[in-house]
Amino acid sequence: MTTTKSSVTVLDPIGLHARPAGQIVKLVKESGLEVRMGKAGQGLVKANSPLRMMAMKAKTGEELLIEVDSDDEAAANDLIAQVQEFLKG
Amino acid sequence: MLSSGTILSGMGVGLSAVTAEVFRVKPAGAIPEAAKHAGDNAAETIRLKQAIEAVAAQMNELAAAADETTVEIFEALNMLLEDEDLFDTAVIQIEAGWDAGTSFIRAVEEFAELLSGDAVFEERLADIRDLAKRVAANIAGISLGLDLPKTGKFVIVGEDFSPADTAQFTDAVIGVVTIQGGPTSHTAIICRSKSIPAVVSCTGAADLVDGMQVLVDPVGDRVVVEGKEADITKPLTFVAKSKDPIIPVRANIGSLEDAIAASASAAEGVGLFRTELLYLSAKTQPTSAVQAASYEEILRAAPAGPIVVRTIDAGSDKPVPFLNMGHEENPALGVRGYRLIEDHRDFIIDQLESLELARQASGREVWVMAPMIATASEALEFAELARSAGNFKVGIMVETPSIVYQIPALQGKLDFISVGTNDLSQYLFAADRMNPALGAMLNPWQPGLIGALKQISDACAAAGIYSGVCGESASDPAFAVLLAGMGFDSVSSSRSQVGAVRQALSAVSKEQAKEVLTAALTGSNAEEAKSNALGVLSAISEN
Repeated sequence: MTTTKSSVTVLDPIGLHARPAGQIVKLVKESGLEVRMGKAGQGLVKANSPLRMMAMKAKTGEELLIEVDSDDEAAANDLIAQVQEFLKG
Repeated sequence: MLSSGTILSGMGVGLSAVTAEVFRVKPAGAIPEAAKHAGDNAAETIRLKQAIEAVAAQMNELAAAADETTVEIFEALNMLLEDEDLFDTAVIQIEAGWDAGTSFIRAVEEFAELLSGDAVFEERLADIRDLAKRVAANIAGISLGLDLPKTGKFVIVGEDFSPADTAQFTDAVIGVVTIQGGPTSHTAIICRSKSIPAVVSCTGAADLVDGMQVLVDPVGDRVVVEGKEADITKPLTFVAKSKDPIIPVRANIGSLEDAIAASASAAEGVGLFRTELLYLSAKTQPTSAVQAASYEEILRAAPAGPIVVRTIDAGSDKPVPFLNMGHEENPALGVRGYRLIEDHRDFIIDQLESLELARQASGREVWVMAPMIATASEALEFAELARSAGNFKVGIMVETPSIVYQIPALQGKLDFISVGTNDLSQYLFAADRMNPALGAMLNPWQPGLIGALKQISDACAAAGIYSGVCGESASDPAFAVLLAGMGFDSVSSSRSQVGAVRQALSAVSKEQAKEVLTAALTGSNAEEAKSNALGVLSAISEN
């Protein structure tokens, strides 16, 4: 299994709140892939729990690391692009 | 027993009033005390899973009959309710011996602790706790239904209403009063979207009982026991008596889009150009050429008149990625605004120099000011930086209490000051702007704030410094009249309010504005100050 690593930026004016957290978790569950996200230096959490994502308290302008386990690199990059879309608010 | 005519103050939601009979929402049946289970972990886990599914199904059922706003809220809530990590955390509690209901509440509290201290999440926390209560109630076989009447017309009164509560509002609910909750509470949002007159944060409503007749008067921020048609507070209407307002009304902008919209309004220039937006999404510091180009575009688009630009107002709660701001316990009291000068002097100079390039290219009149100035030496240092960077009028924001006492020391050194009333209130009252429980202290009609504003305006007049106000309060037409009465030279409003503020300032003379101020100064609390001022204003507009 290959892991695709990248970063996304929270652009939503109120940060990573309930709605984007829910959208990301829904997308991750539908994809069936294991996805981890987190702030640099704080350890990553599995992106399957909206509460856990909200608990990162990511603010507007902050960068988050994202890792996707998948041998299909194109699918992983699509998923990351979609996550970035959700973070635009 | 409340006597007829008793006034209960709160915060109004909506513009129309309504009279009807009180219906007190019964306090829900008590959730059983925390308890241990008999020892069968697997059975408790299944019980919890079933209860969560049942509550999720109830929510879906309520959502099916609800409006679009409610449906969206319910979808988000159900995602939280069915959160896998939350369930796993609850299972750990079951394994520790707690019964299913207690375990779920304990798991929610564990997450609540992680999420607390952040204003964006505080109100969601109340919603999640409500869900935990519903799950526990389902397990204990207790009904949490509101049992609202389906026919007739009622003003319903309760502590506060959760999304699951408001979804049960029937057509018989024509007015709402809550004892708790602020202007951004769920109850307020739903009442606004459904156009139900409401008064929230109305402490005195605890004494209302079933069968009383009440007037819900949102414009007057009050509930009147047995209130009549004549008691309804009408929104003030201003009739312009002159073409120009008694002091200029400028617009607040933050982007090119704002600048274009503002130039379509009657604004005379820009009183506050927030520059943070240009930097919030940049990962590296934009070059001087890039900054100058975006400033030029905005300066050219801005409404005719001077343009007051505020240098970057970032802090650890609104971080700019390339400035690397660390975590702070108290970001509102931390390294923010002009205090960035310690670590980022080059960036602030670069911002001023880019602005000078844009000023020359656009040919516009540009004033610059620094935010979060607390001492006269900071003000003087900024004035020197700004004057050596370009041909600007130079000023500062007045938003810390300490600088108020230093205005005389700035005589001859600064061209202008601009008061940010939101932050000034926060620091004057030591009341966090983001904390919904402290909303009443941040009411601009607080006599303490009015007194401070008067002192600032007087000190500026004595020192020969031009003074303006660009905070939220200057977007309230009646408050803008008060500011003109104090002697401020201009106000700057959010662009949607420019027209209404101009109208108000064109409906009075300077002398009349002073009378409004005198009336407000006799109020011993915010409600009195406001109603005294509005009383004089309505007498003026009727003549």
